[in-house]
Amino acid sequence: MKIIISIMTLLLSSSVYASGGFTWLHGVTQATGLKEHTITFLFTSVLFIVGGLLFRVKTKSLSKSVVPDKGVTYRNLVEFIGDFVYGQAKATMGDKNAKTYFPLLVFYFSFIFLNNLIGLVPGFLPPTENFNTGLALGILIFIYYNAQGIKVQGIVGHIKHLMGPLLFMAPLIFVLEVISHAMRPLTLGLRIRGNMLGDHTVLAIFSDLVPYLVPIPFYCLGLFVCFMQAFVFTLLTMIYIAMAVETHDHEEHAH
Amino acid sequence: MEANGMIAIASAIAIGLAAYGGTQGQGKAAAAALEGIARNPEAQGKIFTPMILAMALIESLVILGFVIAFMIQGKF
Repeated sequence: MKIIISIMTLLLSSSVYASGGFTWLHGVTQATGLKEHTITFLFTSVLFIVGGLLFRVKTKSLSKSVVPDKGVTYRNLVEFIGDFVYGQAKATMGDKNAKTYFPLLVFYFSFIFLNNLIGLVPGFLPPTENFNTGLALGILIFIYYNAQGIKVQGIVGHIKHLMGPLLFMAPLIFVLEVISHAMRPLTLGLRIRGNMLGDHTVLAIFSDLVPYLVPIPFYCLGLFVCFMQAFVFTLLTMIYIAMAVETHDHEEHAH
Repeated sequence: MEANGMIAIASAIAIGLAAYGGTQGQGKAAAAALEGIARNPEAQGKIFTPMILAMALIESLVILGFVIAFMIQGKF
């Protein structure tokens, strides 16, 4: 099994740009009028839904699924991802908030990770390479954390957050905070788009130069960048939500 | 001085300065994080997360410079 995988990695170290623009979903793009990244995005959504249903089937009842399986199985991988995100959420947001917002965070992490990873498979373009996908995810987060802030603190309380601590400097701080909040979806989208574009371009150029054996370190770098970008997106989401819903009433942990 | 030559020089200056400033900032962040871990090896988990967050925020500005360098050449 390992020999087959290593031989395939050696032979298929090429990417979309190197082989002249061939992709697996080329036929679907020409049949309908949609663009390439939309088709790939729908494809990863279908993969994600299938993966979720598969996980649901494997954990049949709640009492029997407390004990983890032995070795590396699909269920263990999904539980590992969930545990990782939950640990980060507890460290950032506190226990109660982490339990409330956990489904959204684990969805964001695994979905962005899957979308990034599909760019490493030869013949696919990652949907997050386009600015539109990142901007859509960023706008969803923007609407969500503002809605949560208004729900927890009321409209007046949420806008009072933007005014800063001192009262007489409120006009200046209000303008700065509004601009900073409005830049958040843009920087979220641009960050992930720039990282994916740079990584994919480097991989394409090196596959053009030497098609065999040399691009393997760049695949490792690509794997690292994919994971790190998904992790940073989730971390920033956690921090934005935590800053929007924090209440200054009780101080649980001592600093 | 043709337009193409100046566009090429502008792209190179954009990405070069962005990379220079970015590595300076990230170097200082990594140095502070490593010194914190060296003083107190048990706090590695708690130091790691803010360090990654700071590095990603610094790097996003470098990526913005890279995007501008591509946009000038017309290959958005």
